[in-house]
Amino acid sequence: MAKKENIRNFCIIAHIDHGKSTLADRLLEHCNAVTEREMENQLLDDMDLERERGITIKARAVRLDYLADDGETYVLNLIDTPGHVDFNYEVSRSLAACEGALLVVDASQGIEAQTLANTYLAIEHDLEVLPVINKIDLPSADPERVKGEIEDIIGIPADEAPAISAKMGINIHDVLEYAVKYIPAPKGSEKDPLRAIIFDSRYDSYRGVIVYLRVMEGEIRPGMKIKLMASGAEFEVVETGYMLPRGEKKTDVLSAGEVGFFTASIKNVTDTQVGDTVTGYDNPASEPLPGYRTVRPMVFSGVYPADGAKYPDLRDALDKLKLNDASLTYEPESSAALGFGFRCGFLGLLHMEVIQERLEREYNLDLITTAPSVIYKVKKTDGEILQITNPLNYPNPSEIEWAEEPFVAASIISPTEYIGNIMELCQERRGEYKDTKYLDQTRVELHYNLPLNEIIYDFFDALKSKTRGYASLDYELSGYRKSDLVKLDILLNGDPVDALSFIVHSEKAYARARRLAEKLKEHIPRQLFEIPIQATIGSKIIARETVKALRKDVLAKCYGGDITRKKKLLEKQKEGKKRMRNLGSVEVPQDAFMAVLKLDE
Amino acid sequence: MTPLGIYIHIPFCNSKCAYCDFYSRCGTKNEYNEYTEALINHILEAQMRSSDYVVDTIYFGGGTPTAIGEKNLIKILAAVYRSFRVDDGCEITCEANPNSVTLRGLKKLRRAGFDRISFGMQSADASELRVLGRTHTFEDVKTAVEWARKAKFSNISLDLMYGLPSQSIESFLDSLDAAIGLMPEHISCYSLKLEEGTPLAERPETLFLPSDDEQADMYLAAVTRLRDEGYEQYEISNFAKEGKLSRHNMKYWTLGEYWGFGPSAHSLVGRKRFSYIRDTALYIDAMHTHGEVIDRIETINDSGRCGEYLMLGLRTAAGISGDVLEKKYLTYFDEIEKVLLKYHKTGHTDFDGHNWRLTPEGFLISNRIIGDALDALEESEHLVRPLNGYIRKD
Repeated sequence: MAKKENIRNFCIIAHIDHGKSTLADRLLEHCNAVTEREMENQLLDDMDLERERGITIKARAVRLDYLADDGETYVLNLIDTPGHVDFNYEVSRSLAACEGALLVVDASQGIEAQTLANTYLAIEHDLEVLPVINKIDLPSADPERVKGEIEDIIGIPADEAPAISAKMGINIHDVLEYAVKYIPAPKGSEKDPLRAIIFDSRYDSYRGVIVYLRVMEGEIRPGMKIKLMASGAEFEVVETGYMLPRGEKKTDVLSAGEVGFFTASIKNVTDTQVGDTVTGYDNPASEPLPGYRTVRPMVFSGVYPADGAKYPDLRDALDKLKLNDASLTYEPESSAALGFGFRCGFLGLLHMEVIQERLEREYNLDLITTAPSVIYKVKKTDGEILQITNPLNYPNPSEIEWAEEPFVAASIISPTEYIGNIMELCQERRGEYKDTKYLDQTRVELHYNLPLNEIIYDFFDALKSKTRGYASLDYELSGYRKSDLVKLDILLNGDPVDALSFIVHSEKAYARARRLAEKLKEHIPRQLFEIPIQATIGSKIIARETVKALRKDVLAKCYGGDITRKKKLLEKQKEGKKRMRNLGSVEVPQDAFMAVLKLDE
Repeated sequence: MTPLGIYIHIPFCNSKCAYCDFYSRCGTKNEYNEYTEALINHILEAQMRSSDYVVDTIYFGGGTPTAIGEKNLIKILAAVYRSFRVDDGCEITCEANPNSVTLRGLKKLRRAGFDRISFGMQSADASELRVLGRTHTFEDVKTAVEWARKAKFSNISLDLMYGLPSQSIESFLDSLDAAIGLMPEHISCYSLKLEEGTPLAERPETLFLPSDDEQADMYLAAVTRLRDEGYEQYEISNFAKEGKLSRHNMKYWTLGEYWGFGPSAHSLVGRKRFSYIRDTALYIDAMHTHGEVIDRIETINDSGRCGEYLMLGLRTAAGISGDVLEKKYLTYFDEIEKVLLKYHKTGHTDFDGHNWRLTPEGFLISNRIIGDALDALEESEHLVRPLNGYIRKD
């Protein structure tokens, strides 16, 4: 057991690409926690996807022993935080497990929207925020300017902030000394009843769920009966321990102030929600730790196997992902166009992309996904209130008294020269302007209220392209508003295609319908007869395109008896045919379903 | 004895056309002679296999066969006669460019036994010809045909193209009429296809190519016009006066056997489909050193053969027969017939009580129909219908 006054629990906050993972690796290296031979870049991000995208999706924690200049050995618990707005809640729970945070700021880029959001979150949790200026090796680095920025914008002192290069390993020692000196030791007594906060969990097929937690008060030991205060679930602890950069160490006890894990033959991560409080069954705490809430998905989309026979595989894959990801929801649905699949709920767009990519890569599934949707609230004239995640369930206009859609409070930080472009974009996405804050002479923070359903359609991409990649975005749900919504249906050759329906604001309906019809026309190959593509609201046609009948598809010449070309062509044609879906009389290639997700390209 | 077609590839041209991706290049007199010698060696080597066959068609294609000179062509033809037994009524064709022939040369060829000549006319419009990189004019075509007649060729073919840059249906029909006016026995009508790597394919957006619909209209207009003039359509792109269809080309579409000599030439001999290496220098070298000349070789099994019958048969006006499929290839025809019936409803196929064939509209989308028919064949492969038996899958 570690001396409590020598424990330092902290996390690293940084914008994507500002070097959080690289710094974590250097800290590990510096504490000799890993030998160079073991060192694989960015140990904490252990999913391929995370490494590729440079973001942390799931939080993890490691324990390091650090012999400081004062001759004392300190226990450093480094808790990694997810690096994306979709995982804000998880970030907040990770922060709740810490006393301090290292705020990594890129010495040339300065502060970004996400850095700010997470910093405020850390300050809210009473964390000691210690700025670290990274990437001083870059020619464009300006540590002094960035320090000034930190003091001006965030209002925390930055004069002692170490200026480092995690990549080159410069001044890493300073960071550790700085952390030991300024991050407070944990408080809380081991004598009190157990209260520990869950900040992550992971499913292991041999041991059940491994729950990562920070003990605030009391102790947790193997054999002890415990209770989760929010879910009400009860378990008997099998093991306790803490994580090392490679592997783990089992312990007899985890006491107040410590960070570690326990297992208790738990079958399902849904029983161990992030943010829940662990307490003793026999001597329970009277109050849970503050801040728990259930994570609710915000974005929904239909996920279908491209090959209908793979439906059971998709179900198994989702079951497996769910073991590790309590925020993923799914329920079976069926579509006339796409067959059997699932309506999946995600925290946000990134979460959606990550899950889809994992399904495709790790489970080798070929997927078709429908346009993402949000949760709409509809009050019907008969008084019933519906929450709608699938456009198919949207009632007839005549049955609707009112409809509401979710809004988010968005903050966009960008160089001043792009203000016009950003405003134009937000305007176009039905944004409501709140205010503009000048961070310094060159950078500005814009605040908008935006409908969530406008953000989930390639808003990030549009923002990036309109600001040449300089703007950063952060948002959180701010509530529901009444809205003039309509359901748009697509008819091919007179038959509605359920998988292409979506809900849209009435002002946007015409433009989107037109674009969608054009896009479909591009992707649906000519067939034996003319195919009208119609976009309708109710029975009213608001856009129309026609795929003309196929008239010419011929290889004119079999020159000199060379029929191999012809054979190749037919094989290629056959490959193409496999990717077609038969919708009534019309053959629609699978990529048409995906293409309509990207209307602005 | 099995009939055999001989194809001789001459990979030389005096200039390269902008749309052409066939293997050919410009050569020197010395190279022409060297190449001729190599070809002759190769043909003589084939003697070992030749006793099973009687040659009833010989076809000199290219490139531009006449580029190497009539003397060389005749030497090569003589080698074929030495190596193979050649039927008395053998059809002997030579391709030529309208501006690569002389009256004297044509007479020589005719005397040596060539009885069919095929000129690449492509268009009668000077600007269309220019875009294609053709170096001749319509006047040259007229003269060439006149000379060929003087040289006593009674079987002349003209090649035309549609779907050319900036071509209108009117200008295409003008070219067609100009060709008909020269009274050839045979006309081929190909659509321009942009082949990767050719100059024309570099910037297709600048070409003002007629749309698929316009091209379909051109084709259908040509079919009608040619029929009215007494040219019978016997294949997607080929039309002939009675009895004048290209017997050599017909072999390609009816699974007749043929042996092609020269770089990149293709053959179907027995059950083997093979082709020779594409590089002329390597080919010549291989002939000296008895090195490897085969580029690709494939043995066609029964089901492959049946697929070829479908794929190639549907290119011809004779079409395919369910009887042949069931009795010769022992294949279940019902699934394929369903496909043909589906296209019958849209006017793309026709049935005369015996054979299924594509209509001109059907020829235009033949890739699609043949593809569907082949899929149906694949699905029927596990179903067996023995001769005269009617064991159904249900």
